[in-house]
Amino acid sequence: MRSGAKGVRMIEGLFDSGALPVLERTLQFTEARHRVLAHDVANASTPYFKPLDLSPASFQQALRQAIDNRRRGSDATAGKLDMPDTDQLRFTPHGLVADPTRSNEGILFHDQNNRDMERLMQHVAENTLAFRVNIEFLRGEMNTLQTAIRERI
Amino acid sequence: MFGVLDISVSALVAQRTRMEVYSANAANANSITDANGNYAPYRRRIPVFAVGDPTTGNPNGVHVARIDMDRAPLRMVYQPDSKFADANGMVGYPNVDSTLEQTSMLEAARAYEANITMAEATKAMIQSSLRLLA
Repeated sequence: MRSGAKGVRMIEGLFDSGALPVLERTLQFTEARHRVLAHDVANASTPYFKPLDLSPASFQQALRQAIDNRRRGSDATAGKLDMPDTDQLRFTPHGLVADPTRSNEGILFHDQNNRDMERLMQHVAENTLAFRVNIEFLRGEMNTLQTAIRERI
Repeated sequence: MFGVLDISVSALVAQRTRMEVYSANAANANSITDANGNYAPYRRRIPVFAVGDPTTGNPNGVHVARIDMDRAPLRMVYQPDSKFADANGMVGYPNVDSTLEQTSMLEAARAYEANITMAEATKAMIQSSLRLLA
């Protein structure tokens, strides 16, 4: 459907303004990272396996760049949020394509696996927390929209 | 998000298989004959993991690639009266060290728990996303 139709533009405008696209990108990222971390935990006893990870720092940098770009546009808080690609992440209209990198740090065990369970579980805890906070914010945004649609407080 | 559970479950299956192998090792620590009563001392089995999950075709996850036999020498016991004794009166017993089996079993149990934790986290995440719709 083309966004020329007025109704469609209104809906797109609702979802492309304020914090919603930022929350959406962050959810996409935390979900992708959770998948990678689950893979790492699953392979904690696999010989020759090197844990993979997606860097939250590079994601945040891309997010900051996208928000800065949007601020420079005609409307500071509305409009599409175009995320620049990083070395690990590619944001497409159909979702996030992630290419996690291998870590080569830490102690190398006899089975050539450099697992670091404590650090890994810390990443899992942080990532899960980030995901849940994001969901809460998203719920708040949705409630606001719902209130507006129902025309009552 | 649902695919993430597959990853953790593949690891649970692999770790359980690993625990079964270690139990078989411990159970057969003194088996020196096969099912037909012929002399064939049990050799310790070693599960080897590899990345990927062939049952679901998922490149993520883990599976048991093969179960190797430990080529370490048999434990020789002096039993000249045994009908399996060699010229020097020695009988070969399985190369199973129960201490090693127990520590390996502990490691597998911990790895299993770590994957349970991961599956719980995934479930909580799915639940909170689904609550957005309700």
